[in-house]
Amino acid sequence: MSWLQRLFARRRMERDLDKEIQFHVESQVSDKERSGISEIEARRLTRLEFGGTEQIKEDCRQSRGTMWLESLVQDVRYGLRQLRKSPGFTFIAILSLTLGIGANTAIFTLLNAILLRPLPVQKPSELLLFGDGQSQGSMSSIPDGNTKLFSYSFFRDFRQKDTSFSGIAAVDSSQSATKASIGGAAYQTAHVDLVSGSYFSVLGVPAFLGRTIGESDDGTDGAGPVAVASYSWFQRQFNGDPSALGKTIRIQSHDYTLVGVARPGFYGYTVGQSTDLWIPLSMEKAFSRPGWNGLGDRFFQSLYLIGRLKPGANPTQANAETNVLFKQILGSYLGPQPSQKHLDELAHASVQLTPGGRGVSYLRYAFSVPLEILMAIVALVLLIACANIANMLLARGVARTREVAMRMALGASRRRIVLQLLTESLLLAFLGAAAGVALAWKASAVLLSMATPGPNPVPLNLTPDMPVLGFTLGAAVITALLFGMLPAFQAAGLEFTPALKDGRGSSSSTTRGALARSLIVGQIALSVVLLVVAGLFVRSLINLSDVETGFDKHNVLIFSLDSSTANLPRGTPEEIRSVQLQEQIEDRVQNIPGVKADGFAFFTFNQGGWTDEVLFQGIPRTQSNGGEVFFNITGKGYFPTMGIQLIAGRLFNAQDTQMSNKVAVINETMARRFFPNGSAIGRRFGIGETPDHPGEKEVIGVVKDAKYSTLTEGTLMAAYFPCTQNPGFYGNFAVRYALGANRQEIVSRTRRAIAEVNSNILVNNVGSLEEQADGSIATQSLVARLSSFFGIIAVFLGCIGIYGLLSYSVARRTSEFGVRLALGARSHMLLWMILQECILLLVLGLALGVPVALSSTRILKSQLYELSPLDPTAISIAIAAVSVMTIAAAWLPARRATKIDPMQALRTE
Amino acid sequence: MSREALQVQQESLYPALHRLEYKKLLASNWELSETGREAKFYELTANGRAHLKAETENWKRLTDVVGLILKGTLEGFS
Repeated sequence: MSWLQRLFARRRMERDLDKEIQFHVESQVSDKERSGISEIEARRLTRLEFGGTEQIKEDCRQSRGTMWLESLVQDVRYGLRQLRKSPGFTFIAILSLTLGIGANTAIFTLLNAILLRPLPVQKPSELLLFGDGQSQGSMSSIPDGNTKLFSYSFFRDFRQKDTSFSGIAAVDSSQSATKASIGGAAYQTAHVDLVSGSYFSVLGVPAFLGRTIGESDDGTDGAGPVAVASYSWFQRQFNGDPSALGKTIRIQSHDYTLVGVARPGFYGYTVGQSTDLWIPLSMEKAFSRPGWNGLGDRFFQSLYLIGRLKPGANPTQANAETNVLFKQILGSYLGPQPSQKHLDELAHASVQLTPGGRGVSYLRYAFSVPLEILMAIVALVLLIACANIANMLLARGVARTREVAMRMALGASRRRIVLQLLTESLLLAFLGAAAGVALAWKASAVLLSMATPGPNPVPLNLTPDMPVLGFTLGAAVITALLFGMLPAFQAAGLEFTPALKDGRGSSSSTTRGALARSLIVGQIALSVVLLVVAGLFVRSLINLSDVETGFDKHNVLIFSLDSSTANLPRGTPEEIRSVQLQEQIEDRVQNIPGVKADGFAFFTFNQGGWTDEVLFQGIPRTQSNGGEVFFNITGKGYFPTMGIQLIAGRLFNAQDTQMSNKVAVINETMARRFFPNGSAIGRRFGIGETPDHPGEKEVIGVVKDAKYSTLTEGTLMAAYFPCTQNPGFYGNFAVRYALGANRQEIVSRTRRAIAEVNSNILVNNVGSLEEQADGSIATQSLVARLSSFFGIIAVFLGCIGIYGLLSYSVARRTSEFGVRLALGARSHMLLWMILQECILLLVLGLALGVPVALSSTRILKSQLYELSPLDPTAISIAIAAVSVMTIAAAWLPARRATKIDPMQALRTE
Repeated sequence: MSREALQVQQESLYPALHRLEYKKLLASNWELSETGREAKFYELTANGRAHLKAETENWKRLTDVVGLILKGTLEGFS
């Protein structure tokens, strides 16, 4: 019989065992009877010789070897029965575990998806990323320090060298959300990645259908008008029909042939973005993006490089070798007579190879610290929940003393009792964990969308996978041991902490009291820590939302427009047509009733930026004016639309044309830093550390400072240039409407106006400036909200603990209070007596928690905006909140003690 | 069990039988005993016989060696 069969044939085996023993006893008895002993005497003797049949049976079961499993099944069934018998306790315990384990699983799911999970590629551990991948866009200078982006020329030259890599792949760092049309149908948004011919082979991603992009597609400029689709895009667009291969896909205004579909589950190298189509880097010129110079420029650095190490190659050696080659190749780009400045820059430049198997992700940059903090917070909450359940179990243990004593008397070993009680704890934990996983599945998606607000959800697979389930299982087991161990040992009467040993056996209730009290002190301490953290985040958030933005975020709509399908001229004098289109749109929308102002801009708020240094004619470079200036290119109506006020001079107007003097509007800070004592109006500057066109721009106006990229940025210098003198189609169109105007109406009329001007200009999405501003602090607001939520839960759990403990102790001391009252004690004295106990616990908890909070909040410093991690307000509020809640929780049972009727109390004794 | 020299404690007998059965050294089946009641009969399996043989030889070697040592010691005394 296999062990499994034994398990299920349990009843038959029990019957057989009974029969076997019975037979033995009977034959012994009859043997004895035959030798002339009376039956009663024979039975007595047999029993004496044989010993207790139950013990023998237990020994037999033990020797079958599957005892542990049998008793486990038995314990589980018994445990379930016990839990069903006290539904109140079971409900509260499972609820707090669901919340505790669920919160942990939810945060871990995000942590896993964003920080830990390897890409679905071949041997991800062999991949190395050049740089840390925390930069996007393009760079045109030799970077100071670690290089994160590389040029196509560098990629090609580096590949020629003999290195520790078996292959190098390149992918453009910025994925483009652009427009694609299949077989002449309407344009739809598609996410396109530009990749090298080696991309798929180096990553080890095979084609699901057809072929992937190969070296021949990426040979020369424009060589490969082919596209590879992601499996999910292929399913969406073609319902998985293989005849889609060979079809023409128009991306922007250029045709590509669909040659293949990548393996299911592969969404590109960037985690948190999902690629629909891959096209070769050779098509970069046909692929339009404002300001994109293409492949020929050796310092147009916009690529991520990913190398696959040769088997057995050493990453450290590869790093050293790459740095040598990097300087050698970049050095060769500087020409025969490089300037001293370039040589200095080159001397400081380096490449840091980092593990590349997890891809790159802006989410990682933005969320790793908040996620780690949240992980710590939810772990503490789970710990508090454990303490709470342990306390409840201790109380149950007292109630179950008789049951345990009975079982021990019947021959159960202590080990058996402890195991049985632990099984009950495990049952609770697993039930909580199962519900927790379900909760986390939903919760992690909600958290992600709260952290990254916007029209399109971040594509991130949050389905629980093996690491997540493993984590939850581990959390459940550890949780069960944490909350179940103490009460189990306690119930089995095992002394296991000598310090807690104040009397043996019968006085276990005092030990229980000490244990329960230490648990509550711990809970109070942890609650204080959590509340201090929550308070700090909330106060930091308040600081953030009170930041003076310099613009009026109310009643402004931001239309994000896509002109890539309109086939507008680029890089030619004809480019001014784009600006004319913009001006037509601006004029038409201006006439819509309810619109107060409107204007195009390169950037509005929190959309990245274009920065460089500037040099004014006749002004020496100093420490204060040497920094980067934030540039923007705007239409005439941009300033009134954003509510940015003019201080001196004038704003852009119709006189600022392509032919006229090049002009700029600058902000206060820039004016003050360059001209601390005089006016900036009329002064001229050029862009760059050593400008190519010195004195090209004339300052015509000074406007108030504003925030440009983030609310947390310091005071930046900024300069605005008119669209007319910097032609191009700038996709952000801001519209200010009057208070009380119908927003929906304005949106639809603006859409119509845009379509009337040019039906090929597509509206990607419509949002508001307020959403952009609030979205920029979404992470901070999420962290503040979550930490407050968990802080409140922690305090609440702590209160339940105190309430339970004091209720119990009041109930036990009813007769004592009765005597006291009968002897003349005043009720407020009783109240004070009980509250004293609680205040002692509170003081101990605070004495433990506050120093811990003070010493640990330093970790949060980088996450707090203009707030000290030792902020006295946050700390006092936390202490006050915990104190008030604790005393309130103690007040109820204490009141009950004063309401005791002495006569009744004495009678119940 | 009947020889006085080797009295197996009755309370250890059944656990021992069950253990051997679990290790597949014994096989059991229910048959009618001479008294007409159903009883469980144990017999050695092929495995069990081999094991018994091996263990017996082990035991024999051990007793031989012990015997030799004892003999030497006893001779030394005389």
